[in-house]
Amino acid sequence: MSRRSGTRPSPPARAKDPTKKRQDAGAANGNGRKQVGSRAFTRRAQATRRRPTVRRGPTWETAISGFASRLPSLSLAPVLRRLPRAALICALIACLNAICWSLVTPPFELTDEPDHFAYVKQLADTGSLPTSGSEETAEEELAALIALRYYKVRQQPQNHTISSHAEQAELESRLASGPHDRGSPAVGAALSEPPLYYALETVPYSLAKSGTVLDRLQLMRLASTLFAGLTALFAFLFIRETLPGTRWAWTVGGLCVALAPLLGFMSGAVNPDSMLAAVSAALFYLLARAFRRGLDMRVAVAIGAVSAVGFLTKLNFIGMAPGVVLGVIVLTARAWRVSGRSALRPLAVALGIAFSPVVLYVAINMLSHREPLGPVSDAIHDPLHTSVLGQIGYIWQLYLPRLPGMTNDFPGLFTTRQLWFDGYVGFYGFLDTTFPGWVETLALIPAGAIALLCIRSLLRGRAILRGRWAEIAVYAIIAIGLLALVGADSYRRFPEIDAEYAQPRYLLPLMALFGAALALAARGAGRRWGPAVGALIVVLFLAHDVFSQMLVAGRFYI
Amino acid sequence: MREVRIALIAGLALLVAGIGVALARSPMSVARTNGTPSREEAIAFTTHGATYCQSDELLPQGTSAIRLSFFAFAGPRLRVVVYAGGRSVTSGESGSGWTSRVVTVPVKPLARAVSGATVCASFQMRDEELTVFGKFTSRPSAARNGREVLSGRMWIEYLRPGTRSWASLVPTILSNMTFGRASSGPGIVVLALLLLAAVAILSSRLVLRELR
Repeated sequence: MSRRSGTRPSPPARAKDPTKKRQDAGAANGNGRKQVGSRAFTRRAQATRRRPTVRRGPTWETAISGFASRLPSLSLAPVLRRLPRAALICALIACLNAICWSLVTPPFELTDEPDHFAYVKQLADTGSLPTSGSEETAEEELAALIALRYYKVRQQPQNHTISSHAEQAELESRLASGPHDRGSPAVGAALSEPPLYYALETVPYSLAKSGTVLDRLQLMRLASTLFAGLTALFAFLFIRETLPGTRWAWTVGGLCVALAPLLGFMSGAVNPDSMLAAVSAALFYLLARAFRRGLDMRVAVAIGAVSAVGFLTKLNFIGMAPGVVLGVIVLTARAWRVSGRSALRPLAVALGIAFSPVVLYVAINMLSHREPLGPVSDAIHDPLHTSVLGQIGYIWQLYLPRLPGMTNDFPGLFTTRQLWFDGYVGFYGFLDTTFPGWVETLALIPAGAIALLCIRSLLRGRAILRGRWAEIAVYAIIAIGLLALVGADSYRRFPEIDAEYAQPRYLLPLMALFGAALALAARGAGRRWGPAVGALIVVLFLAHDVFSQMLVAGRFYI
Repeated sequence: MREVRIALIAGLALLVAGIGVALARSPMSVARTNGTPSREEAIAFTTHGATYCQSDELLPQGTSAIRLSFFAFAGPRLRVVVYAGGRSVTSGESGSGWTSRVVTVPVKPLARAVSGATVCASFQMRDEELTVFGKFTSRPSAARNGREVLSGRMWIEYLRPGTRSWASLVPTILSNMTFGRASSGPGIVVLALLLLAAVAILSSRLVLRELR
């Protein structure tokens, strides 16, 4: 670590350089408009190539020190100093909001939270991974669940959490005198998930080890709220890279992500979705940065590392991986025009780092005579559904209206509206807390206005869009990959269950794109009214957040 | 800048007004239930359309929603019709896509109580399973799906707007929030309210500073 820090240019010195900021902001032409797209990239790359370079012999020492110097600094302070203040405030707001959600949502009353808690318990207590997908909860956790009336409250909105001193005394007595069993080999739905998020959560779990199950859960929830901050931060930075000419719009997008109730709700709980949202936002930012400034070794290492973290966080990342690989290939192809074969090095580094956990995992499984992909193998071998066209038709209809010629897989259900839009408006608790139908209908008005403004903005900037089609295609393929994975997973249980994974939380990895769309919508109102419309959009998200928390409080604590 | 300030103030004023309107309303409360068993039983399963009817129901005056104990992952559109004396006395629908162990169907409010009513819930489905919860009973009093007799009676709750507003329930809600926590006491409620206020203030300040 110290070696890395010592061999790279001092970050504070770079930060103080007044010209650096301008360079970082991208090449600007006389009108102050940023040059973006492949032509701008080629011009910048050619300028870089013309600089005289001293070729050295390729020794191991120089190779390693050169590689280390390109790695990002691990010191946080200089990094924070370089970040826009608005981005940091957005991150702070997202954290505070998620903490508030962690207090409003009752313990364990959120999709699969008992399973995720059990996974951490197993990892922290025994150091080994869980082995069973059953819901035979460990005695210690079970005692808490029963005392909290969890099984009566879950999915039954007519029932509420404990509300008397007698019940509280009973809970405290059970927590104090209950069994303290080690580990929890059965983790229900969390079994197939990779261990990184849970490994991180063992830190707060262990810190509160002397406390009760509820102490540990609350501390773990607080740790999870940090991911909300990171998601908002990287979403802000992504918007800054993609819409460099409209500074105020970055704040609109970043604030809306920070205030999104779905992000606060999920990040205020123990669930790897929160970490995947942060990882994905970071990845979008890195790709956007690379599309604007070129794929150098530092960014390649960062993309590889963040992708590796994504693979280790949640299986859903697999859906995003093809888009990320395509992005790195497109960036390499651009660099090839000016740098030739040396452009392949960042590609190899990025892909090598990104897929190293997957390769390692497969190797370990094969050496242990297990299925190469572990529990994921079962998901791939699906004897029930063999029709590819049927699967494509199902995935299409899970998100969009049915096309002529497709079998109707969702009769009487407008999936776009009822599963996704209504779900985004409000789908809290253990999928049992929703707004009344009229609220979902009312929400269509601002959503429609935002969509129209966004389209207007895209149409007005279509000339710029044409120059950035490859970048946009990469983002689209990342999003489509994720949607397809969620759809394919749901299809496995179809028709027994129509749409098992049709839950908006699975789309949290696309928060950065969502923020950019909202920033675009504000920009679509024009130069004069854009900031005012942006302010209204932010207040709309704040209102959505406040009413959502009121909804949850009213459902559980009345 | 002036436009941003006006938009922000107007938006926040609307938010406060909206909270006021929401707090002035009353939450639905259970006017009557046909018996909450200590342990619910699954009395029917279906993967296709059905019309479940249950006789001898008593609907209180003012009933404006009917809660049925159905479970589905992506529930179908549901239509509820209440018959008494051979004619429909109220009806209502809920949209598809619900997920829960219960589904609440808003109906036209009843002007007076109705006894000896038959409550029918009908829906169309294909393949996905819907479970009906209730209590095992003898065949004569059990619910029916056409000629098919279910294993028992469906559990139904009749809801109407409560007599207390959300505003008057706020102290109860805040008090209940302190239970079932790592540390009980009012601190958690105060902290949650402070956090929410901080989020609103920080967001507003950032909007005023950056959006110009």
